[in-house]
Amino acid sequence: MAITEKTNRETPPRGATGQKFRLADRWRGYRAHHRATLSSSLGKMLGEPIQTLMTVLVIAIALALPSAMLLMLNNVQKIGGDLESSSQITVFVAKLAESKAVEGLALQLEDLKGVISVTYVSAEQALEEFKALSGFGTALRYLDENPLPAVFLVQPLLSGETGVSQAESLITSIEALESVEDVQVDMLWIQRLNAITEIGEKVVLAISIALGIGVLLIVGNTIRLAIQGRQEEIIVVKLVGGTDAYVRRPFLYTGTLLGLFGAVIASFMLIGCFIWIGRSVEILASLYQSQFELVGLGLSGVLALCAIGAVTGLIGAWIAVMQHLRKIEPK
Amino acid sequence: MIRFDNLSKRYPGGLEALSNVSFELEKGEMAFLTGPSGAGKSTLLKLLMLMERPTSGTLLINGKNLNRLSRSAIPNYRRQIGVVFQNHQLLTDRTVFDNVALPLQISGYPASETGRRVRAALDGVGLLDKENLNPLTLSGGEQQRVGIARAVVHKPKILLADEPTGNLDPKLSAEIMAMFRRFQSVGVTVLIATHDINLINTMDERIMYLENGMITDDGVRHGHH
Repeated sequence: MAITEKTNRETPPRGATGQKFRLADRWRGYRAHHRATLSSSLGKMLGEPIQTLMTVLVIAIALALPSAMLLMLNNVQKIGGDLESSSQITVFVAKLAESKAVEGLALQLEDLKGVISVTYVSAEQALEEFKALSGFGTALRYLDENPLPAVFLVQPLLSGETGVSQAESLITSIEALESVEDVQVDMLWIQRLNAITEIGEKVVLAISIALGIGVLLIVGNTIRLAIQGRQEEIIVVKLVGGTDAYVRRPFLYTGTLLGLFGAVIASFMLIGCFIWIGRSVEILASLYQSQFELVGLGLSGVLALCAIGAVTGLIGAWIAVMQHLRKIEPK
Repeated sequence: MIRFDNLSKRYPGGLEALSNVSFELEKGEMAFLTGPSGAGKSTLLKLLMLMERPTSGTLLINGKNLNRLSRSAIPNYRRQIGVVFQNHQLLTDRTVFDNVALPLQISGYPASETGRRVRAALDGVGLLDKENLNPLTLSGGEQQRVGIARAVVHKPKILLADEPTGNLDPKLSAEIMAMFRRFQSVGVTVLIATHDINLINTMDERIMYLENGMITDDGVRHGHH
């Protein structure tokens, strides 16, 4: 409803180019208002440092906990992946197979999809190795013939999550080949590890959801108190024509900032923890002659955590604002 | 500019605050609304501010029906009215300048334009030297003048005032009234609710007397000088 002509009332006289300047001025005014709202929200938070710090710390812990678990899980999966790729498939050659058939088998194995390398260990080599390693050398002399079969050591290409199923189909196709007596591979523990990490993922997800709701409630409650504290101001702003969006804006900024600060502190907590734990992991890994290194949050992880924190804070503030702001009307 | 047509307001519980009120205020006209407390003065202003909605009847502003205005259109409507409140409604967490600037900030004025207009409004009420003070440090009369500056800073065509001289002595009250007259003289439609009958009787302006929710007297009272 225009009581007056809007252009007359709200625009400074600018001459012929008035309209153009008007839009530009409006946009500048709008941005300036956002900047002012952001800095006043920040100022109000810093004006109550203890209260703000406590809220931010609670949010930080709620964000850091599931993140830490997720990182741990990633590292366990990485260990699993490293070991998985070092696993070998042992192919026992039928005892009665002729040398030509064995040569053919070698070629067939090399041609199979998902095979990196094939190593042939003849029955004699196997026996020598066994003698050397087992300490039963003298006892074996009493045997009439070599009880060990010739063996192919097949190094499969196992990548990521599909590794196990790839290996399983590889085993099936090896078993179908001629002159193959038996195929052995210790896949069970890989399957177990995968099952455990799958449970772990679900647990982390459940905890993340619970703590995410916690963050929403913390931010929501903080914003609710802020709204109550500024009730008088909200009424005056509404009386002089402030829109719902205008009234809402500082609270949304506050919520977003709370979530963002919480995420930043959570990132510091996680980085600190992983540096601390990482040293011990290094020592342990060197004892196992492993090159394993703990995977930390990384820059992308920090950014993702900050985004999650800010968005969660914004949603929490939005919920509180929706619940409480409409009730405050000038009477 | 303002037209009430058989307007009634009944609150839940049966209290009829206004019954069949009809009057019209021309553009640039000044009028006083008076009567005993509880007669419906505040309700009438609240209807004009869209803080309340009428039970029946129509309220036309500049020929447009306020009943048809949706909730989301209220802010824009209020930006076109200036209101002076009895209890000032100043914000004590910011300076006089920022209080007066509020309606302009809400409407998205650029900072330079805001500064110019706020200083002009403060100059008009004689408080230009107090722009950086907190309203709490001002006297009652000064606070009321800050409220007036805020009500006119965006150059509204309608100015409403609810007991603007509430707790002021006669000299300050006369000063405040003189200010309202100045706005009227530049074409603003002014409606002032007050119980200060002695003061308004000296002003030769239209007086609407409200009693039990009905206008019982409407006209200019001369004399008493």
